[in-house]
Amino acid sequence: MDHPFNHISDTLKQRREQLISALSEMQPIDFMHRHAGILDDYFRESFEHSLVGPKLALYKNPYAMIALGGYGREEQCVHSDVDILFLFQNEVPKAAEALIQEIIYPLWDLGLEVGYATRTLKECIRLARKNPIVLTPILDARFICGMSILFSNLLDTLRQKVLKKQSRKIITWLVDQSRERHLRFGDSTYLLEPNLKEGQGGLRDYHTMLWIGRIKLNIRHPRDLEYFGYMSHEEYQSIRKGLSFIWNVRNRLHLTSKRKSDQLYFENQIQLAKSMHFKKRSGQQAVETFLGKLHANMDFMKQQFLMFLSEHGYVKTYSKKNRYRLSVHVEGLTVNRDMLDFVSSEYVLNSPALLVRVFEESTRLKIPLSMEAKRIVSEFRHLIDNEVRTDKQVLKGLETILKEPVFTIDVLGEMLDSGCLVSLIPEMKGIVNRIQYDEYHVYPVDKHSLRTVQTVRAFGTDQDNSGCPICGNVWKELKNRKCLLWAALLHDIGKGAPEKNHAKTGAKITRKIMAGFGYSEYDIEMASFLVEQHLLLMKTATRRDIHDEETAIMCARIIKKVSRLQMLFLLTVADAVSTGQNAWSEWTMALLRDLFLKVMNILKKGELASRHAVQTIEKKQDTILASAATPDERSRLAATFNIMSPRYVLTMPVINILEDIALYQNMNDREFVWHISKNEAANTRIVRICAKDKPGLFSKIAGMLTLNNLDILDAQIFTWRNNIALDIFTLKPPLDKVFENERWTIAERNLTSALSGDLDLASQLEKKMKVASAIKPRASKRPHKVNVDNKSSSFFTIIEIFTYDFPGLLFAITDALYQAGLDIWVAKISTNIDQVVDVFYVRDVDGQKVDAENQVLFIKEVIYQRLPKII
Amino acid sequence: MKKIEAIVKPFKLDDIKEALNEIGIQGMTISEVKGYGRQKGHKEIYRGAEYVVDFIPKIKIELVVDTAIADQVVEKIRDAANTGKIGDGKIFIFSVEEAIRVRTGEKGIDAI
Repeated sequence: MDHPFNHISDTLKQRREQLISALSEMQPIDFMHRHAGILDDYFRESFEHSLVGPKLALYKNPYAMIALGGYGREEQCVHSDVDILFLFQNEVPKAAEALIQEIIYPLWDLGLEVGYATRTLKECIRLARKNPIVLTPILDARFICGMSILFSNLLDTLRQKVLKKQSRKIITWLVDQSRERHLRFGDSTYLLEPNLKEGQGGLRDYHTMLWIGRIKLNIRHPRDLEYFGYMSHEEYQSIRKGLSFIWNVRNRLHLTSKRKSDQLYFENQIQLAKSMHFKKRSGQQAVETFLGKLHANMDFMKQQFLMFLSEHGYVKTYSKKNRYRLSVHVEGLTVNRDMLDFVSSEYVLNSPALLVRVFEESTRLKIPLSMEAKRIVSEFRHLIDNEVRTDKQVLKGLETILKEPVFTIDVLGEMLDSGCLVSLIPEMKGIVNRIQYDEYHVYPVDKHSLRTVQTVRAFGTDQDNSGCPICGNVWKELKNRKCLLWAALLHDIGKGAPEKNHAKTGAKITRKIMAGFGYSEYDIEMASFLVEQHLLLMKTATRRDIHDEETAIMCARIIKKVSRLQMLFLLTVADAVSTGQNAWSEWTMALLRDLFLKVMNILKKGELASRHAVQTIEKKQDTILASAATPDERSRLAATFNIMSPRYVLTMPVINILEDIALYQNMNDREFVWHISKNEAANTRIVRICAKDKPGLFSKIAGMLTLNNLDILDAQIFTWRNNIALDIFTLKPPLDKVFENERWTIAERNLTSALSGDLDLASQLEKKMKVASAIKPRASKRPHKVNVDNKSSSFFTIIEIFTYDFPGLLFAITDALYQAGLDIWVAKISTNIDQVVDVFYVRDVDGQKVDAENQVLFIKEVIYQRLPKII
Repeated sequence: MKKIEAIVKPFKLDDIKEALNEIGIQGMTISEVKGYGRQKGHKEIYRGAEYVVDFIPKIKIELVVDTAIADQVVEKIRDAANTGKIGDGKIFIFSVEEAIRVRTGEKGIDAI
């Protein structure tokens, strides 16, 4: 014979499948009720047909089946647990085990997650008293079948023996649990992949409100929360709408992941957005709109929950010790139980500016608005019109709110949540709850913007979490902080517009907003510049070679002023810190700070990025490009111009630059090419050498010239960005002018073999010097001087040498530098009769400055050794 | 199979990814690493205060490929990472004994 239960469980299976297949056509609440109803039917049927039941002697030891938890509330999602209690009046009989086997096992076979308990009434009360985790599901208990009187007994006894006696204790426990839960699930991972149940604003927040209502007022239906005045009618409606959305998501999530699941992982998000018919619109992906709506609903729930707790005094009150200081400065406002209130809503109607000024007072007094005050702001926010927006007092208040570092309460956050901020700055509407779908942006754009403001004003305080101490110092030096704070608030405002380049769009919107508030052109320009360039430093630091001087110069030319750089740097750090942990790390910080300091150095010195320098370079570029005969040539010239070093372009006249370009284009595979021109008037020769740079190049050229008795009067060397060296020497002409050309041919051959290593210049020169015995000790009052400067440039160690000329001097010094492992990037050699000033910009073979103390001493030592003794 | 590990300058990452995409390689592991060593950190001075950057930020790229294309991959990375300057980085090549895909248990080339 077929056991009747096969039939009952088959029916359950069929009905569930049917119901679930119709999920998308139903309201979530109807689905959950019917789902619970189908389960109720199963338990009732099985109670009727139980073979074990009759042996349990219902009349002697009454028992009942009671639904608990979510099943009790009839909020049964697709794969929710089925929590059921078998409650016995006197004792749990032995046969209970058989009953469980009969009723529960088939459910397990169907793959349902069933949690059951068999308890006596007494046990139930004892456990509930001891452990709130046992208690809370019982708060949601619902009778299914059996002796109904037992169910009533359970509720009555629970109320008398537990709830009445311990209500404060239980509620405190619930509030503590919620706080812990919010802390744990407030973590960034849960913001990207929200947990629908435990997360902030998740279902558990709603359950907790309900439980507190049940404990305090014995309410049965959620709607009672409204009737008891726990929330307004509108709030209750909004909560139900929000819940309905969350339940809908949860049901679909269960369905797609084929199991109970509350966390919305990345992999589910796109699919759910699609199945819930979200569409792509105004540059936002469907999944972004979906997550935005979910976020808005959960955020609302969280606000309601926190409001609920604080209205019932379950939130820590603020320190009362400063009470004597709390006097309100604005008419129409008052302080009540350490919270700000409007004297009456009439005041607000007469003076809508109060809607903003209440937040100013909240900032000044460091106390929050009362719930009622928040409601008033939210309900009267439509009164904020252009008159309020252009009110000077309002603007002053807004600046105070932006600038004051208040960390105990989130005034800007309250302004955003109440809708006041958007009413005041309607342009912000587009970024409210705007989600960016990636693993990088943790917060919606509006929340991120507020966090950025908070991060900026935390610089240098104990709330500074940038991990970057220099920020605090830079912050302290700032004079015009309001522009930075406005830029922090508005830097991403362009993300609300459909245009692609949000920084550029944002700058335009910022300009409009700032002008609307009546700011000066100077402030408007500053804030919109910061918004437009807020990505510049981070992009440059991570995507460009910051050890290339040109990179810093390029930034310096865009930023132009030290104060703008300081603000842009702080904005960049705050933006990254407030984006999420993937955007900010010690690693990123090292790159960004390094770039900041290098750009700062360039801006302070000014010579390479001053307006004059920029103009000079631009003018030279125009002249050079204009000299091109064909478009092809023009683009070749432009390409070559881009690899020249800025120092080179600044110092060199256009005519020489064109010569050098020609020289460079003739190089092909050769190690070097040169061009010699005669200046008969000054009786000098100018040699321009274009060569592939390699360590020791300069000293080899200098040595070759000395070897050929070509006296160096002046020299400049530059290194282009593609490792091409441009060395320009001014020489005395060869002694033997008749055979000058032959001399040059020999010199060229010497250099070729010196570069290939076939000619040992040092030993050749030594022989030569012995014959000439030229390095004689000198009688002079002034000693030689060698300066090593590591401060002036972020990229080079600058060595200055003041000495007296002698044949082979330049070779001696440059060879010493080469032997010391230094690479010469820039050099200026000038001779005035016999006084020599040599300046070298060097780096070591690893491309680093040489700034360790022992290195500096060593460099000086090796140079002094090669200079003649002073007697 | 070969495992290729490249330590390069951060700003070269996009170029390298692009170069590898060209030969059909999309999967790789990328980490932000800190280099300490010959290329020592340096000091910067701001308003009299010294800020020492004691490590050099670098990017580490790791990927496992069929031995047959390992040389080609290395060459691509080298070309893309090369600026001709100091600190361009290093590439290491290891032999890989076995690769297993956790989900399916596939082995060898199929698992990478």
